[in-house]
Amino acid sequence: MSSQDQAISSTHEHGVHDHADADVSEPARPGYYEVMETAVRELLIERRFFEAGEIRHQIEVLDSRTPALGAKVVARAWVDPEFRARFLANGRTACEELGITFYDDTQLIVLENTEKVHNLIVCTLCSCYPRPVLGLPPDWYKLKPYRARAVYEPRAVLAEFGTIIPDDVEIRVSDSTAQVRFLVLPRRPEGSEHLTEEQLAALVTRDTMIGVVPAMLKPDGDAS
Amino acid sequence: MTATEHLVKRLPNDVGGTPADPIQIADHPLEPWEKRCHALADVLDFHKIINTEEKRRGVESLGTELVNKLSYYERWIAAFANILFQKAILSPSDLARKMQEVEARWPTREK
Repeated sequence: MSSQDQAISSTHEHGVHDHADADVSEPARPGYYEVMETAVRELLIERRFFEAGEIRHQIEVLDSRTPALGAKVVARAWVDPEFRARFLANGRTACEELGITFYDDTQLIVLENTEKVHNLIVCTLCSCYPRPVLGLPPDWYKLKPYRARAVYEPRAVLAEFGTIIPDDVEIRVSDSTAQVRFLVLPRRPEGSEHLTEEQLAALVTRDTMIGVVPAMLKPDGDAS
Repeated sequence: MTATEHLVKRLPNDVGGTPADPIQIADHPLEPWEKRCHALADVLDFHKIINTEEKRRGVESLGTELVNKLSYYERWIAAFANILFQKAILSPSDLARKMQEVEARWPTREK
């Protein structure tokens, strides 16, 4: 065990900084769990449960999924009432209309924010998330505080994201499952009437589609 | 309530509705092995070897101590190994031998 422990500590404590001037292509000595991942993957490939190319392909698929896809769908729903109706009726087929394939066997339920209802999504048991349209979830979505508290004190949780929801607006929290994923359709910001569909998509961030912040005319980081 | 009753009533993943700390709005880009681990999970699901529910149960079955101490993808790979043992797709000896082989690809650290 001691050599493995050493390997872990070397990866965690010394990795990048000590070797800043080393050849970047030189792989760091892997930690215990990385070795386990490599071993499991190689054994299953050797025994022909799947091929190495499938893992490579899936990494490309994961890399291709970002919140920009969800933003594109939301912007379309904002400008096209018929599409919006189809999106709310069946999130998955509406996304597929725009060329966003679902690589997993999940359904997508779209939750529309209105003047009277604000939606928030969570996965209390683990980290289920609409990955085909948003990519992988942020760490805070996967950690205990958000998962534990979103369902019983959503207003307090939202306040920690700087979002204050008026008391007369109902908050609905939807708990995801392995088969059923949710996406929030945020409200179109007031004053955005003159924007093009593409400009609207730029207002739609990941966090607006989780429901922890509203879509705003000037999203985070835009100081103009 | 007895001292252990809560452990029976709530598996380690079942945290919804329990008291917890303030949210740390944190994120990190996945390390290459973490991304490979995620791709492995998807491929195992596509081939109906381990589906999402089995993965979650596999993580729960690690028990509270491991669930709390391991990182997200550390829990996943440990759960996959256990599930593959249970399904007799791999044996613990297979994995131990292969891990030794993988380890041996890197020279022993000097100093």
